[in-house]
Amino acid sequence: MIPLVGVISVRRRPRSRSFRLWIPLFLLWLVLLPFALLAIPALFLVCLISGVNPFEAIATLGNILVALKDTHIEIDNRNALVLVRIL
Amino acid sequence: MNEHRRQILEMLSAGKITADEAERLIAALEKDAPAASSGNGSSTPAARAKYLRVLVDSENGDNPYHRPVKVNIRVPMQLLRAGVRLAGLIPPQAREHVNEALRERGIPFDLSQIRPDNLEELVDQLNELTIDVDVNNSHAYGNEKVKVRVFCE
Repeated sequence: MIPLVGVISVRRRPRSRSFRLWIPLFLLWLVLLPFALLAIPALFLVCLISGVNPFEAIATLGNILVALKDTHIEIDNRNALVLVRIL
Repeated sequence: MNEHRRQILEMLSAGKITADEAERLIAALEKDAPAASSGNGSSTPAARAKYLRVLVDSENGDNPYHRPVKVNIRVPMQLLRAGVRLAGLIPPQAREHVNEALRERGIPFDLSQIRPDNLEELVDQLNELTIDVDVNNSHAYGNEKVKVRVFCE
């Protein structure tokens, strides 16, 4: 299943004020869907020119999108604590 | 196990690792050997790792203004699989350029060797991967210690 929500959390130092942004990725996918449909013919063309199987390319891109789920990146340094999660 | 030992010795002879690092790697192999032979071992498949973790811990004890920097990255193994599969989609012309660039940087790796049939084996081998790097940097701002840990869980 594709990731549905992204979370970006930033806590600035030394004031320790933080904000957390929940990004509804499912809305982003809905917005991007028409563009993706438009891009598919161009992708097919590029794949045919470069000798790559277009179906395999689309499947791989889909796999990458699905596999992004559960990614967790946390960076804590002198100025801020930044957390990015894909759920 | 002998194959791993031979690989370590080859890396040592090629100058890719130092004698100390080779000694540590061989010691780690010997430590793992009894555990592998005493356990159920080959009869039961090992639990598959779900994530690749990268932990970086940097601290500078001498500098009071320096706060420790910590990085914690968890990448799903599924993403690695998809990424490796993506490497298989690189057009042959571009693949040659990439191979050449890798060779120039001292990495003799042929991208055409990545095929879907050996992809699973490649990613499964990462389950046993653990890399620990300890670095001590001395510079004008003090003595900085960096610890990097890469492992699967």
